[in-house]
Amino acid sequence: MSDLSEQLPDVTALLAGLDEASYLADEPLGTALFLAARMGQPILLEGEPGVGKTQAAKALAAVLDTPLIRLQCYEGLTSAEALYEWNYPRQLLAIRLAEARGETPREADLFSDEYLLPRPLLAAIDHPGPRPAVLLIDEVDRGDDEFEAFLFELLAEAAVTIPELGTRRAAYPPIVVLTSNRTRDLHDALKRRCLYHWIEYPDVARVAAIIRRRVPATAGPLIDQVAAGVGRLRQLDLAKPPGVAEAISWANALAILGAGELDAAFAERTSGAVLKYSEDLAAVRRIGFAAITDD
Amino acid sequence: MTSDLAEVSARFGAALRQAGLPVGAGRCERFASAVTVARPRTKRALYLCALATLVSSKEQGEVLRGVFNQVFDELGGELAGLAGGSGTAAGEPAAQPAGPPEEMLASTALAARSHGVPPAGAQRSEVPDPAQDSGGPEDQDREIEDRFLGSLTERLASKDFAELSEAELTSVIALMRRITLAVPVRSSRRYRRWPGGRRIDLRSTLRQARRTGGHTFRLIGTAAADRPRRLVVLCDISGSMEPYARAMIQLLYCAAGGASAEVFTFATRLTRLTQVLARTSPELALRQAGQVAPDWLGGTKIGSALKEFNDSYGRRGMARGAVVVIISDGWETGDPQVLRREMERLSLVAYRIVWVNPRTKSASYQPLAGGMAAAWPHCDAVISAHAVTALDQLTEALSDQVRRRATVRATHLCLAINS
Ligand SMILES: Nc1ncnc2c1ncn2[C@@H]1O[C@H](COP(=O)(O)OP(=O)(O)OP(=O)(O)O)[C@@H](O)[C@H]1O
Ligand SMILES: [Mg+2]
Repeated sequence: MSDLSEQLPDVTALLAGLDEASYLADEPLGTALFLAARMGQPILLEGEPGVGKTQAAKALAAVLDTPLIRLQCYEGLTSAEALYEWNYPRQLLAIRLAEARGETPREADLFSDEYLLPRPLLAAIDHPGPRPAVLLIDEVDRGDDEFEAFLFELLAEAAVTIPELGTRRAAYPPIVVLTSNRTRDLHDALKRRCLYHWIEYPDVARVAAIIRRRVPATAGPLIDQVAAGVGRLRQLDLAKPPGVAEAISWANALAILGAGELDAAFAERTSGAVLKYSEDLAAVRRIGFAAITDD
Repeated sequence: MTSDLAEVSARFGAALRQAGLPVGAGRCERFASAVTVARPRTKRALYLCALATLVSSKEQGEVLRGVFNQVFDELGGELAGLAGGSGTAAGEPAAQPAGPPEEMLASTALAARSHGVPPAGAQRSEVPDPAQDSGGPEDQDREIEDRFLGSLTERLASKDFAELSEAELTSVIALMRRITLAVPVRSSRRYRRWPGGRRIDLRSTLRQARRTGGHTFRLIGTAAADRPRRLVVLCDISGSMEPYARAMIQLLYCAAGGASAEVFTFATRLTRLTQVLARTSPELALRQAGQVAPDWLGGTKIGSALKEFNDSYGRRGMARGAVVVIISDGWETGDPQVLRREMERLSLVAYRIVWVNPRTKSASYQPLAGGMAAAWPHCDAVISAHAVTALDQLTEALSDQVRRRATVRATHLCLAINS
């Protein structure tokens, strides 16, 4: 197992790397990700929607210059989708071809790597290095209990057993990043296995910095105004408080319309980029968009 | 691991346990190894190592911050802005390098020692040794968590939900998490291997076929696996029911099996909460429900809310074969006949109907309120579920496979008629 101490000598180096990958993380998140990578411990990232959980894993992979392998969870996810599946059409073809030659195909030939379709979890275990892959298990709270139990075992062993092929152990155990939106509580055992970080919604200055980075077309006062405006919206007790993703798309929408500054009229025209529910739009209309845009 | 480091993590772990966090030897070890890897040179950096390794929720993180400040205050004042997302504020003492990591550890150990918290397992050894602990670190964690929950149980579990303060309600979350809301099963779209099943399992079929060179296939069938029935909850949020509504919705949010429930609230109007609940916390969801239906002072119209449910959701399929839970004290300000009719319609499609009425906690309760009397005959169970200790009634009523409407109907119809 590589210890990554060269790529990641300390937290500061990781933060600089993430910055280069256009992901602006704070020190707490940087420390948590650094420890996950260096200690080889899975990490669970939680936080409001759009706060950058998924992107954190992607950026970490970019920093390490290693593949990001992503498994999106949903209810009913099966091992055939998460782990591996046999390539049945190819196997059938092989059986028929052997038959045509008057042979009986051997079991070992049919159930070999050649006919194996690795899905994300197996791909991460099989990753040949030279550095571990980043395995993103996204929105694990959407999967069901059985999957969680299975995942727990996989994390504990960094190995999977394929009945026909035996146990495959990772030469480079992946750096595992799990994300959850907390729609459901995860099992204690799984949580205990993981490092943990709650990603806070960034402060106005950092939101502005993220917009500057992510929406190069914006300039001048607009950036700070959008960041501040989103901050005010977030204090309104909305059904879906806007997150970083919404701040970015709002800035984008304003830039496309050529807005130099954020005023009430522009805010209302582009509200669809930042308010995702009609109740929320109605709530903001009630107090007036000027309350969001004016100091 | 240096002995300073071992001592720091053991004492700090003990302080965290005292504050109620489930931190066992396993976690302490992890914290120590994080310090070895990250080599923190400031108090803040040390805190961030603790934060990443010793908690597993946002709330636990807040407890940790308090304890860290207490234990390490010898290292120089409060750690201002510790949890702040934006990094250290200018001039924050904690951010000033305190010398090489070893030096900081030594002074940290000193601070922790003078704080007077005995390290974990003080009666056994100074430093927790997981190998010596027969149960292993994970078991120890579990045990600590149990003990932590144990003390809470005694105090709060038997209190009526209406008497719990907001903070107390939050602290029974841990108890509610232990509860599993299991409803009876129905067949689902998930398949498992089953001889003679109508769907074909390709993986198994091919495994068989390789023996015959792919000549004769014996198709291996699968059949639908059982899945839990749908759980639908209709919750009265009118004045007096509010605390119970809060508690029930929190339960659905925390308990295993609760998250997939369909949740509605009503006072005079029906509001679907499922989506909101998935996005936010129970408190916020309820507050919003109150805003959406701000007219609850007008009293409860259970019958018309139920009609709305039946018309818009229930009869279309949501209630079909489902276990339906209605949470209300049964004070109907509308026409009880409407409620009776709608309960009957619902009972024709639902698998079971469970009515949670906190008033029934009293043994002398009789369903004299017009609404409750009208509804009772159509219920499979009527329970109080008014406190954590009374939630067993709910889990039992939910998992029950037997319909009891007929018998309930006989006895309580008399009551209703007599009244
Ligand atoms: N710190 C950050 N620096 C740069 N970009 C960010 C940052 N945080 C979030 N973003 C951007 O915000 C958007 C949303 O982020 P992401 O999809 O990672 O959020 P999420 O937490 O996974 O949301 P969800 O819960 O909806 O899955 C992305 O475009 C991402 O690049
Ligand atoms: Mg995401």
